[in-house]
Amino acid sequence: MTKRRMFLRMITASLLRRRSRMLIALLSIGIGATILAGMVTIYYDVPRQMRAQMRSYGANMLLLPEDGETLDSEKLARVLEQFPEDALVGAAPYRYVRLDMTSRQQSFTTAGTDFEQVLKTSPYFSVEGRYPEATREVLVGKEIAELIGVREGSSMELTWQPAVTAGEGDPAADWVPNAQLAGSAEGFSGGAVTVTATLDGEGKIAEIQVDASTQTPEYGGRTQEDKPFLKQFTGKTLPLTMGEDVDALTGATVTSTAIVDALNHSRAVTAASQPRTVRYEVVGILVTGGEEEGYVFMSNADMRALTGEDKLDVTELSVSADEEQLNAYVEAVANSGEGVTARLVKRVTKSETAVLGKLQALVFLVTVVVLLLTMICVSTTMMAVVSERRREIGLRKALGASDNSIRAEFLGEGLFLGLLGGVMGAALGFVFAQVVSVNVFGSSITFQPLLLPVTVIVSMVIAAVSCLMPIKRAVSIDPALVLKGE
Amino acid sequence: MLFRMIRGVLFHQKSKMLLIAVTIALGASLATGMLNVVMGVEEKVNKELKNYGANITVKPKDASLLSDIYDVGEGEALNAAYLREDELGKLKTIFWAFNIVDFTPFLDTQAALEDGTTARVVGTWYNHHLALPTGEELDAGVQGMRSWWEIADGRWLNEADEGADDEIMVGATLAEEKHWTVGEKVKLTASHGEKEAEIVGIFDGGGDEDGHIYATLDAVQALTDREGKVASIEVSALTTPDNDLARRAARNPAALTSRDYETWYCTAYVSAICYQIQEAITGSVANAVRQVAESEGTILDKTKLLMILITALSLIGSALGISNLVTASVMERAQEIGLLKAIGAKDRSITGVVMTEILITALVGFAVGYFMGFGFAQLIGQSVFGSAIEMNTKVIPIVAALIALVTIAGSLPAIRMVLRLRPAEVLHGGH
Repeated sequence: MTKRRMFLRMITASLLRRRSRMLIALLSIGIGATILAGMVTIYYDVPRQMRAQMRSYGANMLLLPEDGETLDSEKLARVLEQFPEDALVGAAPYRYVRLDMTSRQQSFTTAGTDFEQVLKTSPYFSVEGRYPEATREVLVGKEIAELIGVREGSSMELTWQPAVTAGEGDPAADWVPNAQLAGSAEGFSGGAVTVTATLDGEGKIAEIQVDASTQTPEYGGRTQEDKPFLKQFTGKTLPLTMGEDVDALTGATVTSTAIVDALNHSRAVTAASQPRTVRYEVVGILVTGGEEEGYVFMSNADMRALTGEDKLDVTELSVSADEEQLNAYVEAVANSGEGVTARLVKRVTKSETAVLGKLQALVFLVTVVVLLLTMICVSTTMMAVVSERRREIGLRKALGASDNSIRAEFLGEGLFLGLLGGVMGAALGFVFAQVVSVNVFGSSITFQPLLLPVTVIVSMVIAAVSCLMPIKRAVSIDPALVLKGE
Repeated sequence: MLFRMIRGVLFHQKSKMLLIAVTIALGASLATGMLNVVMGVEEKVNKELKNYGANITVKPKDASLLSDIYDVGEGEALNAAYLREDELGKLKTIFWAFNIVDFTPFLDTQAALEDGTTARVVGTWYNHHLALPTGEELDAGVQGMRSWWEIADGRWLNEADEGADDEIMVGATLAEEKHWTVGEKVKLTASHGEKEAEIVGIFDGGGDEDGHIYATLDAVQALTDREGKVASIEVSALTTPDNDLARRAARNPAALTSRDYETWYCTAYVSAICYQIQEAITGSVANAVRQVAESEGTILDKTKLLMILITALSLIGSALGISNLVTASVMERAQEIGLLKAIGAKDRSITGVVMTEILITALVGFAVGYFMGFGFAQLIGQSVFGSAIEMNTKVIPIVAALIALVTIAGSLPAIRMVLRLRPAEVLHGGH
């Protein structure tokens, strides 16, 4: 019988004969390994899972066209290729226009969007009724609904006033006798002032109409009704000079300048710039507690049908990534050469980083404390199990076994227990982490292959070290004393 | 005799008993620490979530819509309703006053700049010092509620400064567009006045606010001749995640039964706090900002559940660990027990002696472990959240019961098993 076989037999015999004690030791190592594997898996998975939960705060990135560029759905699709599929939670494109509700003499900011994506980027939206599914269905913000008294099931007529397009070449080419002209310019606080004019047979202004409804009613708003002010335009030839051809209305200088500006850039009215009116059915009322309650929402297809343009003002993205990664995406979008910039919604990204950092630190500290205490517990149990065998050690020593062979045997036993307990623990730990993940986050966890060897090695080291400590004491004592039971 | 035997064991087999005591102390400290953390974690995480800003907005009842929808500059005729600035302190007198973490009023106007363009000027509080009738003092304002703002240059506007009303903060986009720098003086002309203000800080908030000018509330009130008036209030409150009752109540509190109403009113649901704010501030409508309120609930629930499961794992782990060790230590003493039996001791008295020894050891371990565990909880609280975790007295009986249970469960079966063995065999050392 070779030495190695004898060694193996001694270990197995010891394990089998002393079943109950070994079971305790194995159980103890198994618990330790389970906690190790389970906690470490959770620790690694928590940021990913929590980040997914944090997406309930909505969009954390905005895609905007650069100055002088436009964004359309094709370009958007190309830009979105910069984002890996699993990181992109949702991308909701928005086109904002002001539509008039002629029957109520009101106008509302209306957003054309993709509701399927809105559900992903703004999960906090709450709709009384349902989201629009078919064409010509709209979602109305709660505040508008209360203001104009619409409910789920009522309908509303919205009118699109096309902005007068800049057109090619010199606008003066359009200023021919009997022409129908329209133009718009930016007035007070950025609101658009629209002017329509008719020229007479000599090319002079015959009639003028001003839409200054975006302006403050008591100031700039007065320009659209002030007869003496409007009268000074008739009979004049374009272009006009402020202060020479016409005088500004007192208290409405900005708006008056805008009217002159609009006329100087006015173009002939064509079919494409005719207003369009469509009747929509209200299928839901949107409640958010935020400014969205003051908007009307329709599908992008409806918006395109109404305005005849495929144009997007902004796209809200909900991206599951940490701040560093988000900045990398911003960079990638900037370098894509599509004329689109990405901006981070600081309120969401900064806060997410702060909150997630705390949560991760919490789980980290808890993991460290739990692991430390569990490992000490495991060692004490192992020590108790081994020190019980002092008599056996003494007996072997008395029979002539060398200290080293005794150490080797116990070490082997410890390593074997560590291996078994480690494998068992890694499996149980993964099961535990999976249970936690499914219960807390409703999604499964990915198995970390590296964790198996780490768990097994840590278990073996702890088992071996806690075996050796009591043995060191046992072998150093005189066998006679040990055998006597002192 | 019993006493002497126990004392003998406790003092002569010090190292063995110490091992048990240490393990029980560790287990108890783990249980105490985790239970304390899990009970305090909701409050801590809730405070962290205040990073996201206000979860309640308060507006005047009649004109809550118009200034938002119409970009109508002054909009005086439309937006005629205001809240009263002097009532703001009342927010801290409602039933859930303690849960109101921060709040700030807003009043804005369009002002013409020297270059002929206009900009929105927002008047608000920054670090407004409030001394409440209740004797409480607090600093409220945007500095706490816009935690994500980065001060690109300069500093926060400080209301305690002399002449703070002549200071403004400017959004990064606007500052870049106008080539403004810190220290520059800007002339603002609004409907009822004009003033020259010094830029003290440029901030980057990553949103619309980057195109706005921020001044003190008093300054904007003076510019617009609306002394003592505010247009809206943002409130940041600690809330309990919504449940079914809260959702029903949010729709119509009057439809609840009186008992449900009481439960709802006395729970920190966001709808209950909104309701109480409406009661406190005349002519106001308080709305939950769903983006913040709703998400907060999700995150809180998840965190709590996660911590509960981790705690459960560590409790099971320490329970098994302790009972394992106790079993091992009893079996280790098989010889001694066999000897006691051989000299004629009754099973019951042996069980009594061994159990008493172990329970005394457990008690010592528990006492040490409880304080250690409390230390662990503080370590976690201080290093993660920067504040102490409250000592929860409920933890003591839970941990004590747990330790007692696992100690007894670990030792009794083991003692029974050892007693079943024949003394001769045990003493001989065979099995």
